[in-house]
Amino acid sequence: MVIQILLLCGLIIFSGLAILFKDLLKAALSLAVASLFLGIIFFRLNAPYAGVFEISVVAGLITVLFILTIALTKKEGEVEEAKLAKVVFPLFFILFLIIDGLVMKSLLQKVPSLPSGPEAGTFGEVLWKQRTFDLVAQIGVIFAGVLAVLALFRKKEDDKDE
Amino acid sequence: MSNLWFLYLFFSALLIFIGIYCLLTMRNLIKLFIAVEIISKGVSLAIVATGAVKNSVLLAQSLAITYIVVEVSLVATALALIINIYKKNKSLDVRLLSKLKG
Repeated sequence: MVIQILLLCGLIIFSGLAILFKDLLKAALSLAVASLFLGIIFFRLNAPYAGVFEISVVAGLITVLFILTIALTKKEGEVEEAKLAKVVFPLFFILFLIIDGLVMKSLLQKVPSLPSGPEAGTFGEVLWKQRTFDLVAQIGVIFAGVLAVLALFRKKEDDKDE
Repeated sequence: MSNLWFLYLFFSALLIFIGIYCLLTMRNLIKLFIAVEIISKGVSLAIVATGAVKNSVLLAQSLAITYIVVEVSLVATALALIINIYKKNKSLDVRLLSKLKG
């Protein structure tokens, strides 16, 4: 329990740092560390496949994409953030912490959740047999993403008439 | 078990709060997508933790993996858009987007 709380605190701290850092590179790296913490939490929750995806895809691939974008936009891309936003953040955070603690417990009893009961089979059976349409949707989403990126980086063809 | 569920959902709500605060106050487009990432971390934590507490961790894992794939696709498309916006405006300031016409 103590280790879980420490991991969750680490996740919150690095996520907070990701928005508080002025340097975008540091923000992206602290986001990757937060993903690493989340992956370890997934492993400890007996969800190793989700943990592997979180660490390899989110901490790895998405961080690389962020760093690539930051490198491509660095020259004139700096934006002056509102100073008040960072100053007021701890105040709002503590306020939300109190509200969250008070409200969440009573909310949990009212929100309907998945039925309790042991699951049969393996992860592969659940993913490939019960959630087959999820996989079809995933393939569709990947194709949509690839086509969108291709469309956005399309080069203008040279017009010979001009 | 209920205490454990409370703990995880408490922290996932905090993550979502951090993300929404950043979305509402920051002006840099890359920062805004970092905020979207933080929100999605909160959501996937809530999905897996609820599955683990309710003995449906296999189903929760498959949902989390689907969610991660959607997230990657979203981020790739969004970052490509950001690069194009930067090429056009020479700035990552989100306020400049309000000047778009069309």
